Amino acid sequence: MELTTDVTNLWSEGDLNKFRRMTLIWGATVLLLLPILASLGYFMRMFQSNFFPHMRPEWFYAVLTLHSLGMVGTWFVGGMAGVSYLLTQYTHPSLAISKLNYWGTLVGVLLLVACTLGGLFGTGWYFLFPLPLYSQGVWQPWATVTFFVALAVLGLCWTIWTLDLLRAIAQRYSLKAALGLNYLLGKPGPDVPPLVLISTVSLIVSFAGFVAAVIVIVLFGVDALGYAIDPLLMKNLTFFFGHILVNITMYLGVAMVYELLPSYAGRPWKTNRVVAIAWDAVLFLILFAFFHHLYMDFAQPRWVQTFGQICSYFLAVPAGVVSIFGCLALVYASKMKWTLASVLFFLGIMGWGVGGIAAVIDSTVEVNFHFHNTLWVPAHFHTYYLMGVVLIILGFIDHLGLEVSKLQESPPRTKAIITLLLLGGYGFLSMFYWAGAHSIPRRYAVYPNELAQGTLYARVAFGFITVLLCGILLYLWETGKRCIKAFSA
Amino acid sequence: MHQSFLGLSATRGHAGSSLRKSVEPGKPPCTRLARLGFALCLVLGFAGCLQAQQSAGKPSDQPPNEDFYLYKQVPDITVQDKAGSTIQLSQIWRDKPVLLTMVFTRCTGVCSPFLNSLKSATSAAGGLGTDYRVLVLSFDPKDSIADMNGMAEDLGLKSNAAWIFGIASPPEIRRLAEATGIWFRWDASVQQYDHPAVVVAIEQGRVVRMLAGATVPVTGLMEVIQELRGKFVASYALPGKVAFRCFEYDPRSGHYTLDWGLLLMVLPATFAILATVWIFFLLPARKRIADSFPVARTY
Repeated sequence: MELTTDVTNLWSEGDLNKFRRMTLIWGATVLLLLPILASLGYFMRMFQSNFFPHMRPEWFYAVLTLHSLGMVGTWFVGGMAGVSYLLTQYTHPSLAISKLNYWGTLVGVLLLVACTLGGLFGTGWYFLFPLPLYSQGVWQPWATVTFFVALAVLGLCWTIWTLDLLRAIAQRYSLKAALGLNYLLGKPGPDVPPLVLISTVSLIVSFAGFVAAVIVIVLFGVDALGYAIDPLLMKNLTFFFGHILVNITMYLGVAMVYELLPSYAGRPWKTNRVVAIAWDAVLFLILFAFFHHLYMDFAQPRWVQTFGQICSYFLAVPAGVVSIFGCLALVYASKMKWTLASVLFFLGIMGWGVGGIAAVIDSTVEVNFHFHNTLWVPAHFHTYYLMGVVLIILGFIDHLGLEVSKLQESPPRTKAIITLLLLGGYGFLSMFYWAGAHSIPRRYAVYPNELAQGTLYARVAFGFITVLLCGILLYLWETGKRCIKAFSA
Repeated sequence: MHQSFLGLSATRGHAGSSLRKSVEPGKPPCTRLARLGFALCLVLGFAGCLQAQQSAGKPSDQPPNEDFYLYKQVPDITVQDKAGSTIQLSQIWRDKPVLLTMVFTRCTGVCSPFLNSLKSATSAAGGLGTDYRVLVLSFDPKDSIADMNGMAEDLGLKSNAAWIFGIASPPEIRRLAEATGIWFRWDASVQQYDHPAVVVAIEQGRVVRMLAGATVPVTGLMEVIQELRGKFVASYALPGKVAFRCFEYDPRSGHYTLDWGLLLMVLPATFAILATVWIFFLLPARKRIADSFPVARTY
């Protein structure tokens, strides 16, 4: 990428190498966690297929909790690590804070493993109030305490990381510049890479999400002390945090594509007024889009639900449509260099589009009456995760490995990886969509006779996940080699 | 069914007079003994019958669980109203939704204060007679129409057509009570019925809401009436004092008002703004690109 300003004074070669090495460590960790966490999903679909008739359903819910939190956390840190590395071209993020986050995240993950697999803590990622406090003997109080300690550790580390990246951006860009307000107002100003604009928006919003998480944890403590807390408030705060975290992870991935895909297309992908409007709108709209998680909470006033639907629509349109259209325009008639990384970037953006359309459908109140808590919900968020940000981050790790190791890829293996990922991924997702459209509920460990087709869909999905896992393993083989060589380099 | 109920009351009166006659002097002992034995049999037999008719449902220290009874069908029993005419319950609810409650006139406890409270609450809530009616049934087999009329008169409701005071046969009362979560049990030690004070809202023969408690809260009744009018009420009543509610529902207006809990919803964005201001405006910055590389841009 051609930089628009002289940043050679930002980094010494040694420091940059250290930062690159740290990013490789993050990448390797993500690659290690991916098959483990994917296997947990594999286990859950097997459970729903009735492959373990004698196993307690509590195991399903404990694994569900670890899988969901693990995946959300893994791709968030993957996105943060990737964006931090790419921001080194323009700013100076702290290596020490990246390291602190690495160890903090490891501690948090270990605590999560302890409370879920060791203590059968099984509330799901949303730990909806007051469920963690009423285990009915399924898990012990220590598991609840461990879970909240894990959340606190992760939340603290990630908040520090967020603030550090914002600090790094602020040291080189004014707020006006970082938010692309020059473009909005049509005034002269510096060139602002989309990476900086999207990162600034995402980091400000993610800080708000972490504050909401802190409030939720504190209120859980207040309730545990005997003061009643409004469950509706808790649900609002929980989904404020959760929805933002998931969306921000996606945006971090998109920021990486804005930065890296032009190098494969041989064309710039610059910030302009439309891009600035789209991403600045996110800053406001994302604060209210989470209301679509509470459509079935009838105590929420109707105007809130309506506002939630409007914000959900407008949140999807600017950022999603502008980015997808921009990506297509970038690739169209270009001398695109299709490699494993660039294909994954492209497919990731398109996957975001597919999942986004499914999300917009579900965020329509009338539709949500039918789809709420059916498998349509995991269908859409698995789409923009698995076929969206996961592919983008896998693409980034491959890009980084290739950049450092210079180890060229094998086109047949690249084709095989892409084919397996697409076939397994979309096949697996199609079973979620199909089941959701047929009102199969989510979060059932085993389907009763009345929902026997849910078991059938789970078995078909099991087959597709097998294909997907083969694709992931082949990718790990291919990219792993480059990462190992990159370490030695 | 109701005629047999009235017949039972008459027979008990006869049994009482038999007992009085059994102690008259000058009668042959065998005759007196036979008549005494016969009278005892009658008393015990009727007492047994009465025992079977004087309880329904499972006594509990807790109010009836509304969730268990919502949308359950209410049996279509025959009611004798304060004018003495019989009417099917379905005729009442088809005409207008009904607030049903069950009491007994000999009650020395909650019944009268409860009905007074219901009267005040319905006056305050409005809509009585136009949107719904109140049906007060006795579960005491001893209560007659005259007793229920007396109770209505005491409450100043005898001439109020929106209030129906009535009785029904004990088996039907028991069926109705069990279908609506109301229980009652004769306590011989205090010669009173033990029972909860409950108002059951019935629309088109189905239970749509229940209010339990010695007094009827106006706001709670307003919510119930809104539901009887076919409006969706999405309140979220919570036990005890709840800190930081997001919204309060006003059943008088049917509107929501914002509550203090919403301030907590504003905090995350507020902190994010403060943090952004702190980082971008208060922290020392290196030489910024915006300061050093102004670029003329065309749009």
